[in-house]
Amino acid sequence: MSTLKSFLRHPTGMIGLLVLLAVVLLAVSAPWLFPDDPWDMVGAPFQPPLSEGLWLGSDMLGRDVAAGIAHGARISLIIGVISTLTALIIGVTIGAIAGYFGGKVDEVMMRITELFQTIPGFILAILLVATLGPKISNVIFAIGIVSWPPLARLTRAEFMRLRGREFVQAAVCQGQRPLTVVLRRILPNAISPIIVTGSLAVASAILIESALSFMGLGDPNLMSWGFMIGAARTVIRQAWWMSVFPGLAILLTVLAINLVGEGLNDTLNPRISRKR
Amino acid sequence: MTDKTLLAIENVSISLPPGADRPFAIEDVSLTVNRNEIVCLVGESGSGKSMTAHAILRLLPERTGVAQGSISFNGNDIAKADEPTMRKLRGGAISMIFQEPLSALNPLARVGQQIAESIITHTKPAPSREAVDARVQELIRDVGLPDPVALARSFPFQLSGGQRQRIMIAMAMANNPALLLADEPTTALDVTTQKQILALVKKLQSERGMGVLLITHDFGVVADVADRVVVMRNGRVVEQGTVDEVLRNPKDDYTKSLIAAVPGARSLTRADRKITGEPLLDAVGLNKTFITKQGMFLPPRRTDAVQNISLGLKARETVAIVGESGSGKSTLGRLIMRLIEPDTGSVHFSGADLLAQRGEKLRQMRRKIQIVFQDPFAALDPRQKVGDAIAGGPIAYGTPSKEAMADAKRLLARVGLQESAANRYPHEFSGGQRQRICIARALALKPSVLVADEAVSALDVSVQAQVLQLLAELREEMNLAMIFITHDLRVAAEIADRIVVMRRGEIVEQGETQKIFQNPSDAYTRALLDAIPGRAMFAGPGARQAEAASA
Repeated sequence: MSTLKSFLRHPTGMIGLLVLLAVVLLAVSAPWLFPDDPWDMVGAPFQPPLSEGLWLGSDMLGRDVAAGIAHGARISLIIGVISTLTALIIGVTIGAIAGYFGGKVDEVMMRITELFQTIPGFILAILLVATLGPKISNVIFAIGIVSWPPLARLTRAEFMRLRGREFVQAAVCQGQRPLTVVLRRILPNAISPIIVTGSLAVASAILIESALSFMGLGDPNLMSWGFMIGAARTVIRQAWWMSVFPGLAILLTVLAINLVGEGLNDTLNPRISRKR
Repeated sequence: MTDKTLLAIENVSISLPPGADRPFAIEDVSLTVNRNEIVCLVGESGSGKSMTAHAILRLLPERTGVAQGSISFNGNDIAKADEPTMRKLRGGAISMIFQEPLSALNPLARVGQQIAESIITHTKPAPSREAVDARVQELIRDVGLPDPVALARSFPFQLSGGQRQRIMIAMAMANNPALLLADEPTTALDVTTQKQILALVKKLQSERGMGVLLITHDFGVVADVADRVVVMRNGRVVEQGTVDEVLRNPKDDYTKSLIAAVPGARSLTRADRKITGEPLLDAVGLNKTFITKQGMFLPPRRTDAVQNISLGLKARETVAIVGESGSGKSTLGRLIMRLIEPDTGSVHFSGADLLAQRGEKLRQMRRKIQIVFQDPFAALDPRQKVGDAIAGGPIAYGTPSKEAMADAKRLLARVGLQESAANRYPHEFSGGQRQRICIARALALKPSVLVADEAVSALDVSVQAQVLQLLAELREEMNLAMIFITHDLRVAAEIADRIVVMRRGEIVEQGETQKIFQNPSDAYTRALLDAIPGRAMFAGPGARQAEAASA
């Protein structure tokens, strides 16, 4: 409760949260705001912004850019959040096991992590989506697979630092079971940097998804920001609005998520929040 | 002001930023340091003694500043001097040494270079390299370090704590300062090293006729080196005078209580605690070697932390394990707690080998042996409420949480805190209060053995005395056997029935507390006893009785 209160007093965190809420609202209300399929041709092609019925103009096939952005927000957010959750589950589990047990377990876990780190992430994502087929679930899976290694390394480092701390040893001496020690004592104290990195991962997941769609590897049935920019790149000189507005949407969303992550970091740490 | 006066602080107040616990860090403080004398500034943490010293060189934290008063050095007011003047003074005519030499030295530069830097900064025109090198080596020799040429080329991490502090002193001496400010220079050091460093400071001071302002919380140190004493409390000077006046005949109640709290100052008249029977906990042949890899081409470094140690602990007995840092005393405590796995050996406890237990059986044995750690700030989870921390143990063993919480509140009251403390977070408490919480947490499981690992070392003397008193009461109430790990023989004398002296992983001597104090058989034990600060004034309890016996 007090965490919430101090978050509400965090200026940049609040700005981020408001922008993010606006994007979420847009995503949720997309079917009511733009009831038509965003793939439908609703007007003449190449209409500039503020044309009649088309606030943000239309693209080369006469599709509404505003509708594309609203519906694209759903896809971007869903992919960003779910793929990050996937990455968190994999990364935190592996990192926690490696950091808590150490020794041989740590060796094995870290070699696996390094295997994933040495393969360029984006190329692996392209490979996975190209092999498995451009479906939203495959895109999420691919992004999750390429984003967990930094989370695992971070979690491992935090766990190694905290495992030797006296309050953790005290909990062990108190007879707390290993799972309790890990989940109740170590994880809450390690969570701040994980949340911050996690929020960055949401942002970078949105970017990876955009990049995949830009290359034509997004789900062909779903409108997305990356696809819109990709489609608009050939006509950027004639129709700037077709790439600028989805680009702005990506920028604002990614920025907002980062601000929220930073705000959370400051407020989740009781000593920093007390200073404010 | 006379010619003798080197430094005069007059009615100085330092303001704190709004929202601090008091408006001024120090208020209306006046003190003087003469040439060729050592003045000790004594007080507990938070008394403003460090602030006073830092104000002289204007090394104050942001948003604090000298609000009023004057600081005159050699007759010039430096409280309002401009920054270039101050820069010339720092490390020049006034130099300073700090508590923790490891963090005061640059870890990436060779120590010779660091000493040279302070010479070059203050000498215009810049001296030749040969002259600087020669001076550096002379300084290193002056502070009593062997082989100056090789030593100048080493990095701080290659030196011991005592050597590092000597380097800091060499650096401070580089420009023949008239005034040396020493901020708890020996607090982080072992007692034998402390004795050497204090002797060095005293020697340098008398050779050069320096004025020294030495900050300490230990009246033992005061008794050993001071000419005059200034006692501070809550930012104010409560008493000052010559060392004899203040120590033998203190006027202020606070000074009296501080002196009374010096461990070992009380006499050792203790009822026989009637400890008999078979050992409750019996450690046999414990060994632990740490092997650290040193890189690809260097052989791994072996540290024999604990070598073939056997230790018995009877029910209700308190055994103090005394040794310097690196003696393996903490490792021994952690081996018994099974926080570190030993290489070989066994610990028999209530009919089973503790070291052979695994999983659930080990967990069941753990509740009988509890530990209190040294640093009360690190030993409590900052995100866990105090009540939950204490009740956590019993709950883990199946006590209903309501009952456990009620017990926790009772325990909090027993260790001298309010029951409402249960709903607060650790950062709301002071060091001494936190240590009480840690004790309550350990005792919540009703253990039969309590390991106290330097449990009072991080506390101020007066708080230390209270916590020791609390432990002494609790061990009677709860029939506790205690393993009391400490580097301080005076503290050991306060509480222990038996003392075990460790050095480099081995036991060099053990015996009844009185016997150890009265006729130590091992040379190392004698060295430890000799190094007790203020032994002349606060003769250890054993020594006092030995005197009485010989009289």
